[in-house]
Amino acid sequence: MTTRVGIVEVAQSVGSESKDNLYEEIYKISKEVLDKAGLSIRDVDTAVSASSDIFTGISCANAYYWDSTAAFLKNGSRQDGESLFSFYYAAMRIMTGHYNTALVVGICRGSEHPETDSLTTLFGDPFSQRPLGLCETVVAAFQMRLYMERYGITEEQCAKVAVKNLGNALRNPYAHRKRRYTVEDILNSQRIADPLTAKQCAPKSDGIVAVLLASEEKTKRLTKKPVWFKGFGCSMDTFSIGDKDLLGGSLRDAASRAYKKADISDPKKEIDLAEVCEPYAFQELLWCEHLGLCDEGEGGKLIDSGRTQIDGDIPVNPSGGVLANNPYISRGLQRLVEVVLQLKGQAGERQVENKMKTAIAHGTTGFAGHCHAVAILGV
Amino acid sequence: MGRPVAIIGTGQTKHGNRRDVSYPELVREAVKAAFEDSGITPKDIDGVVSGTMPSMMEGIGMTQFYLGDAMAAVGKPILKTETCGSTGMSIAHTAYYWVCSGEADMVLAVGHEKMREGESQAVMSSCFDPFYQKYFTSGAPGIFAMQCQDWATRYNIPEEKVRDAAALLSVINRDNALDNPYAHIKRKVTVEDVKKSPIISYPIRLLDVCPNSDGTCAVIFASEEKAKKIGTKAAWVKGVAYRGEEYNFGDGDKVEWQSAIQCAKQAYEQAGITHPRKELDLVEIYNPFTFQELLIFECFGFSERGKACDDILNGFYNRDGELPCDRSGGVLCTNPIGAAGLIRVAEAAMQVTGKAQDRQVEGARLALSHALGGVMQFNGLMILGSEL
Repeated sequence: MTTRVGIVEVAQSVGSESKDNLYEEIYKISKEVLDKAGLSIRDVDTAVSASSDIFTGISCANAYYWDSTAAFLKNGSRQDGESLFSFYYAAMRIMTGHYNTALVVGICRGSEHPETDSLTTLFGDPFSQRPLGLCETVVAAFQMRLYMERYGITEEQCAKVAVKNLGNALRNPYAHRKRRYTVEDILNSQRIADPLTAKQCAPKSDGIVAVLLASEEKTKRLTKKPVWFKGFGCSMDTFSIGDKDLLGGSLRDAASRAYKKADISDPKKEIDLAEVCEPYAFQELLWCEHLGLCDEGEGGKLIDSGRTQIDGDIPVNPSGGVLANNPYISRGLQRLVEVVLQLKGQAGERQVENKMKTAIAHGTTGFAGHCHAVAILGV
Repeated sequence: MGRPVAIIGTGQTKHGNRRDVSYPELVREAVKAAFEDSGITPKDIDGVVSGTMPSMMEGIGMTQFYLGDAMAAVGKPILKTETCGSTGMSIAHTAYYWVCSGEADMVLAVGHEKMREGESQAVMSSCFDPFYQKYFTSGAPGIFAMQCQDWATRYNIPEEKVRDAAALLSVINRDNALDNPYAHIKRKVTVEDVKKSPIISYPIRLLDVCPNSDGTCAVIFASEEKAKKIGTKAAWVKGVAYRGEEYNFGDGDKVEWQSAIQCAKQAYEQAGITHPRKELDLVEIYNPFTFQELLIFECFGFSERGKACDDILNGFYNRDGELPCDRSGGVLCTNPIGAAGLIRVAEAAMQVTGKAQDRQVEGARLALSHALGGVMQFNGLMILGSEL
């Protein structure tokens, strides 16, 4: 009954500060994705954006940029928080048959918002968590310490993720932070919240990210290289940090829901590429475990094996990941954009050469992965 | 298109000044009531949609985290929909599309706000862009006052007539709220009281304006199959529409208000309605300001252009009139913003399922619910019917 949803085209801004104002930049990226598909504003049936008022500094930020996302006098909506939600919501709208095309735009400007952790601290309740100084980085440090202790993961293994991702970013023209580092460089950078060092923590970046979705029939007409929506899963954990296992989390739930929808029984074999949201280097290893790309506690071995390198058999974050580019709200959708480019064979110098059929885009927000979203795409 | 979607249960808090409970407790109260009303348990829910006004209102970022446990959303798929004043309606829409698409069978929608913990007009002023508009505005009433003056001038409606009609509308809403156990402001007033109340932003007076409320509304949406299996009386979604227009206040015509007019057109087409004035049994309009509701009556085609005042004065919108408006007392008497749009949906659902108790409109079969938001930019509708 429901139609298949295709991803027609994608567009993204660079991660460094833009000279355009927010409004203009959103307009440019929205127009770019429509131009790629040969469409005009008239052809957009519905628009769903993702942004967060505390990051934008304007209440009801969607009111501010509404016109610039091709949404003028259209039916649309906005997701607050993880931008992969907006992708899912737009896909749902197409599945109902009410709409043939949907424009998804993720919006965040690190260059204009305060330090990320002065905003993430607002996720905490004002009575107990906030006075303790909890923020995403502090809780990530707890999580990293626990991860190393429970599974014998080493600081070197965590640092290797940063070496890999910031190195991959050298080939990504959209990446914000990029350089060839050694494990020593990473470990000797400033200690931010022990055991996390500065180069294992993501920067704050700009990111306007646009994705054009269409119904099956329309997708086939608009692009010769369609990428298909295969499945989506999301889940949210309990609120209080002290009430949960920081290595438990909700990603396993989110992933298993997405795999079920996409009819994937053995992700280790069936997933060809993953773009994982790792604002802290060690999280790439932990999330790979929870995504079922390796066994529990084997994240360290996974990075040691070289399999997640760009020329490995399961490349993870060929874009450089969130460590290279961290527009907090739009970073999940940016993972999806990279997956689409890779599956279309349009990833330029960072193109993975393996033959790929199915890939994962992952997004997370909140303390220690409070809320996760997993999108599975295929060709 | 898609598959049919039903509302199988609703829950509301006692709205108002709720210093007796924390924000999560407030949310829990409505969620629990929705589960009791529908007869299902949190186990049956495939997804949760949460939403509120800007984070600045309560000073908490990503409220879905803080309120997750209270919404029974732990371990569940969750979406967080936020579109300013129309948030409550947009939450309902998200839940509708989620079920309609086949991605979920039962979705819990929760709209929540604890406005009395913040300074709402300061928050509202931060909706305007920081370069130009912010300096000209002080909260919401200013732009609503301009819209009203523009409308009255355009149709040459005598000032006194507009004043009388708006005052009567305030009285109608406030009388209606007396029958609503969830309503915040429950006070009997007269037309004279309204006309003598202090000016907020001319011509808007205190009794033309909604309060700041704490409150939560929860609504459970289900597929046809699930709704029939559960077997309680369901409200069926007949039309879903939303439109947004330009941000710059001076750029758009807020009298021939395109987002409202085109939104209604789409909803009526879906619901197969050709004469809304005759076919609808009641309407739940998002009415934070009396004057604006008059204009909305015209944009939605209930009253002819420039004639809403006459209809009000002739009793057309009274509780026993041809088209009862806001039998709940509306936003004018209860305004927890993130919940207010969803309360309109819940009230419409209660009416068409005969659950509205003292405020029941006899024989209600087709009801329209509405919300608006942004800088007078967004209008959203959901039309509900008693039959599939």
